[in-house]
Amino acid sequence: MHIDPLEKKWLYIAFGMVGLFLGAIFISALVSGIHPPSNVETIDSARLHLSEEFAEDNLGVRIQPDGTVRVTMVAGRYGFFPRHITLPADTPITFRWASIDVLHGVHMPMTNMSTMVVPGYVAEVTTQFPKPGDYPMLCNEYCGTGHDFMWSKVTVVDKQTWARRHAKTEGDPS
Amino acid sequence: MPHPLNEDEKQKILNSPPVGTWALMLIVGAGMVLAWLFLYYGVFLPRGAIH
Repeated sequence: MHIDPLEKKWLYIAFGMVGLFLGAIFISALVSGIHPPSNVETIDSARLHLSEEFAEDNLGVRIQPDGTVRVTMVAGRYGFFPRHITLPADTPITFRWASIDVLHGVHMPMTNMSTMVVPGYVAEVTTQFPKPGDYPMLCNEYCGTGHDFMWSKVTVVDKQTWARRHAKTEGDPS
Repeated sequence: MPHPLNEDEKQKILNSPPVGTWALMLIVGAGMVLAWLFLYYGVFLPRGAIH
């Protein structure tokens, strides 16, 4: 098959760019330990209120002994519960989600936080937020007529503010 | 009205290296690489890795 020399050069450039991009992703994933969330854990969506972790009183933000933060939330038509949480910046945060009814999606614009919440499964994502500020938490999977209004608020504060609040509330920062 | 090219002029153009095309390749290629590197290293990764 005849290929014009100029077209060959275009092909070399295109393949070189793809190789460069894949190499950059591969190397940074290896160096920083980035990988897709892969938690597989089942739960009975109809009995979330009877489970220990996802019972209403146990939802929210908890500080782990190693200093990381764990957030337990429930997604249900049409809201994320708790409706407002406060989190520290530059701190590893593990979100654990369960749906009480149908398929939902969690997306926080201007961050990399995004996952699906499938009924019957616990979605777990670990990330951190470098910049303090107010972030919306939106549902990005159509879940019914009230989908457009399904959102909550996440406030990210700097570490010093977080430490002061944590000291005042004695371990219950939510 | 421009005068038609004679045969020598046509051959000279056909046989000369396509400098403009090479320049276009470099500009487009480098622009795409720089834009991608900025989005990946300047926007995506600083927002916090996902595990």
